[in-house]
Amino acid sequence: MKKLLNAPTAYVDEVLDGLTLAHPSLVRDGTAGRVIRRASGIRSGKVGIASGGGSGHLPLFTGYVGSGLIDTCAIGNVFEGPNIDSCMDAIRLANGGRGVLRLYGNYGGDRMNFDMAGEFLEEERIHTTTVLGTDDIASGTQDERQKRRGVAGLIYAYKAAGAKAEEGADLDEVTRVARKAVDATRTIGVALAPCRVPTADRPTFSLAGDEIEMGMGIHGEPGIWRDKLKPADAVVDEMIDRLLADQPVTTGRISILVNGLGATPLEELFILYRRAAERLRQAKIEIVQPLVGNYVTSMEMAGASISLHAIDDELATLLAAPADCPFWRVP
Amino acid sequence: MTAITTQHIAAAVSGAKAAMGDLEQVLNEADSKLGDGDTGSMLTRLIDRLAEADTATEPSLSDTFSKLARAAMGATGSSLGTLFATGLMTASRMTKGREAIPWSELAPLLSASRDAMMARGGAKLGDKTVLDAIHEVALAVEGLNDPVAVAQSAKQAGQVVLERFFNESCKVGRARMFADKSVGMHDPGMLAFVKLVDAVAR
Repeated sequence: MKKLLNAPTAYVDEVLDGLTLAHPSLVRDGTAGRVIRRASGIRSGKVGIASGGGSGHLPLFTGYVGSGLIDTCAIGNVFEGPNIDSCMDAIRLANGGRGVLRLYGNYGGDRMNFDMAGEFLEEERIHTTTVLGTDDIASGTQDERQKRRGVAGLIYAYKAAGAKAEEGADLDEVTRVARKAVDATRTIGVALAPCRVPTADRPTFSLAGDEIEMGMGIHGEPGIWRDKLKPADAVVDEMIDRLLADQPVTTGRISILVNGLGATPLEELFILYRRAAERLRQAKIEIVQPLVGNYVTSMEMAGASISLHAIDDELATLLAAPADCPFWRVP
Repeated sequence: MTAITTQHIAAAVSGAKAAMGDLEQVLNEADSKLGDGDTGSMLTRLIDRLAEADTATEPSLSDTFSKLARAAMGATGSSLGTLFATGLMTASRMTKGREAIPWSELAPLLSASRDAMMARGGAKLGDKTVLDAIHEVALAVEGLNDPVAVAQSAKQAGQVVLERFFNESCKVGRARMFADKSVGMHDPGMLAFVKLVDAVAR
């Protein structure tokens, strides 16, 4: 598994250098340079949204810093949560005087570090709330939904909370819509080939050339089943069935995200979308603002995830609100 | 010496650093079966940072542990690394103002660190995590005041806990979702702790 890099230990910092050079709307900040924030800074009087997570998932997390989305992002090493200093920096830099929502995926390291950062920052009188992305249905049963991990569906929470914050809403309201967006979103992934962490000498998992794994996590964590590769339509059918079984769409409207994990061509994502759209049409569910592309990746992992974001009028309005970051623009 | 001093801590860090050369990919491989395959690389980076932290002039054990905790926190935000830093912070609190502690206080130090890590991370004893290994070692060295006996007991306890949990299933984290598959595998955090105890106790 080949990689274009200079040194495994320089991977993250060189990625962040390139990202900010290519996109001047983003700048590196924080004591270790492991926070990405908007170049324009936080607008005074706006509720801030701080996120964070491990590297290796671009555009998530840092790529969604922008207007109508998140304000700052603490970034850790590949597949590791950001450290506590970066979390504190991200919260401070997102503070425009009306409080900060900490919005990130439900992973142990991220949670511990953002929790400790919040405890330390109580002395600085920065009021914070927390919403965790928990959309991966393969990472927990219905009964323990709060233990599920956050994957691609987190971007819908970014969008809803970001739009609400731009409206001038207070922290409670921004927190409420973020939680509502998380509750309305479900994701499942399928992996075709593994990735390799730059400092590791072998891939994160092995999968035979003719096998796929349903429900695999975005770090290569084992999924629900492993079997022979099936036709795309059969794979999509199972993913849609599992998603709708987990959360029936009572609003009659959804946004769907067909997301590439890194190495799967857009062509194949559109083949998946074609079938997913057909299935949703048969179920009499209207699709609003579909997203197809690489929104949350796992480096060179091959495969895809499908997220369904069930929307009512409020979430539809927030989804349609203007947003602008390097990887997602809503005019 | 019948007391644990900052020199012992420095020697332990050096021993751990030396051991990581062989352990890094072993732990990565163990982690790749249950997680994302980076435990060895993360710990290598963390222990390198500990080794870089100059603790020679720290006036007390508490200051030494505190400096190491800050180094660990700066090195990573991973679950295991953050728990490790939490344990060091607890050790710092427990040794405030003391230049040395008797070896017999190692057990309460480990137990308090274990409890703080449980509170921070949310795992319980029996979940097949690093906490079970710390617990077993703490029990094994309880009441011992001879460093040779402490080292021997700690190493034995490490082997016992690895063997006991090898055929257990993981009950926490993503691995709990494929509990059956985790039978017959070492938890990477538990394995790391035991291997580092082996290296340090040598």
